Amino acid sequence: MLIVRLGLILMFITAIASGTLALLNQHTSPIILEYKLKQQEEARQEVMRSQGGVKFEKVNSEEIGEFYKAYDEADNLVGYVSIAYGKGYSSTIETVAGYTTDFEVAGLKVTFQQETPGLGTKAVEVKKGDRKPWFLMQFEGKDATNLAVVQDRGNIDSITGATITSRAIAVSVKATAKEIKQAVEAMEKANDTQMDTEAAALEMNGEVTP
Amino acid sequence: MSDVRKEFTKGLIKDNPVLRLALGLCPALAVSATVFDALGMGISVIFVLTMSNLIVSLMRKAVPPKIRIPIFIVVIATFVTIVEMVMAAYQPGLYQSLGIFVPLIVVNCVILARSEAFASKNSPFISIIDALGMGVGFTFALTMIATVREILGNGTWLGFTVAPSDFQPVLLMMLAPGAFITMGLILAWFNWMDDQKEKHLKATFMLDEKEAK
Amino acid sequence: MDFSNLLVIVVGSILINNFVLARFLGICPYIGVSKKLDSAIGMGMAVIFVMTIASMASWIIYYYLLHPETNIWGGYDLTFLRTIAFILVIASLVQFVEMVIQKTAPALYNSLGIFLPLITTNCAVLGVAVLNIDENYTFIESIVNGIAAGVGFTLALVLMAGIRERLELANIPKALQGVPIAFIMAGLMAIAFLGFSGLKVG
Repeated sequence: MLIVRLGLILMFITAIASGTLALLNQHTSPIILEYKLKQQEEARQEVMRSQGGVKFEKVNSEEIGEFYKAYDEADNLVGYVSIAYGKGYSSTIETVAGYTTDFEVAGLKVTFQQETPGLGTKAVEVKKGDRKPWFLMQFEGKDATNLAVVQDRGNIDSITGATITSRAIAVSVKATAKEIKQAVEAMEKANDTQMDTEAAALEMNGEVTP
Repeated sequence: MSDVRKEFTKGLIKDNPVLRLALGLCPALAVSATVFDALGMGISVIFVLTMSNLIVSLMRKAVPPKIRIPIFIVVIATFVTIVEMVMAAYQPGLYQSLGIFVPLIVVNCVILARSEAFASKNSPFISIIDALGMGVGFTFALTMIATVREILGNGTWLGFTVAPSDFQPVLLMMLAPGAFITMGLILAWFNWMDDQKEKHLKATFMLDEKEAK
Repeated sequence: MDFSNLLVIVVGSILINNFVLARFLGICPYIGVSKKLDSAIGMGMAVIFVMTIASMASWIIYYYLLHPETNIWGGYDLTFLRTIAFILVIASLVQFVEMVIQKTAPALYNSLGIFLPLITTNCAVLGVAVLNIDENYTFIESIVNGIAAGVGFTLALVLMAGIRERLELANIPKALQGVPIAFIMAGLMAIAFLGFSGLKVG
């Protein structure tokens, strides 16, 4: 009987603890979620600033998950934004990457990393007088589908003592760019054929004059 | 009153949890790369330690001895989760850089050791004093290690540049080996100070004896 | 089943991100039980065993009881109970292992002494459970990671014990004797293990 009683006591205490946490969780979880959404939105704005992208449209692709199309004030398509995940030295690095319509890198922002302080974290360190981390700035304007660190005979200078972190960012951004490029091309193709058929249909009805 | 002061100050140097009792070593090594992280971890531990000591002390007469350890663990885990939620909501940057070591405060031996050895036998007020002393001692040890590592490894202290501009940082200090070696040398320094004190005491004692003769 | 993926996890947890020497998990037993080779091996085996079962149990609990998309309560998010749930599972597991060892291997039980209950507060065990979730490992990957983490811990512990047995014979300055020299040894071992960080697998 004793063991039942002890079990009940333990259960009672755990229940009180869980109840307290549930109450607090109701309060904090919306704040955490809001912060995440805000952080992502700010990152999107930041990486597309050079292209004037201010509006973003979410695209759900079956093959590669979701990414965003970026539009400027006048609703012209100026590029794409996606999140790249790369395995770094001690964490999975999350980079929000912006691409121009020609798939050059428009901007990068690391939104999650737990790399070695003072080494891998240099990837997000901003030098005095700069507005963005130097490591990420060097990506801008480069062909996003062809990125590699110097050690892999590429065009990106890696951080001293943190090749793995540098490589993780370069490789993951490149891979994501390739995926989106393919997906976008596939969609355009599909759109083109659809538009062609629509145009043909309209012509048949004689509503469009060439 | 002197009792209160004794319970508080014992955690700072004499029974410092990290440097003397060798408790809570994992966070002392893992989050001591920068002073900011060390302080963040220290404050979290002070909160969890104080609250769990208080609750354990309040419950000390009601808890059946057979299941006291699981109960202590539940109490500690609850406060750790509270720290986790609050930190994720209001200090997301710190939460990210402390990472896995926030939930791991649960298994920080300092906290369970104080619940078991002190709070379960003493009144709530004195238990809080004990927790504050131990918590501050823990934070002190972490900050000390972090100061050495951040200055040597990055040339900064709490993010401010303190080293001359031509200073070449010792990258090793930022990595795992730096943590171990710094810890070893600080412990050795403490041992050495003890030795000196002992020698000094012995010398004065012998002197006194001579004079008495 | 992707075996190269599992190989990456194994090599990663044993060598590249060794639990003790790179992730700083399980330092207390690493310093405390590394004076004798025999007890180091015993402790290592106990940790491998507990870590493997803890990885399994915590994975099942997380995905079937807590995670909002897969739990049996139909979508209520209980992930905030993760820390409490995991530590309780580990505490009961350790109690169980302790009883089993006491019955089946009294000699081992005697040599491990007070350190068996201390596995509960060995952050490496809770650490592996939390890491499995943070890294989004599948059930199989979690088990493999649990075993590998335990092996990595044992490797570091046994190497350390071997060195410390020799150190007994060495003439060390008084202030450095005992724990301080153990930490400096650990630092040198960590430098050696840094060499693995350049290792490319898969």
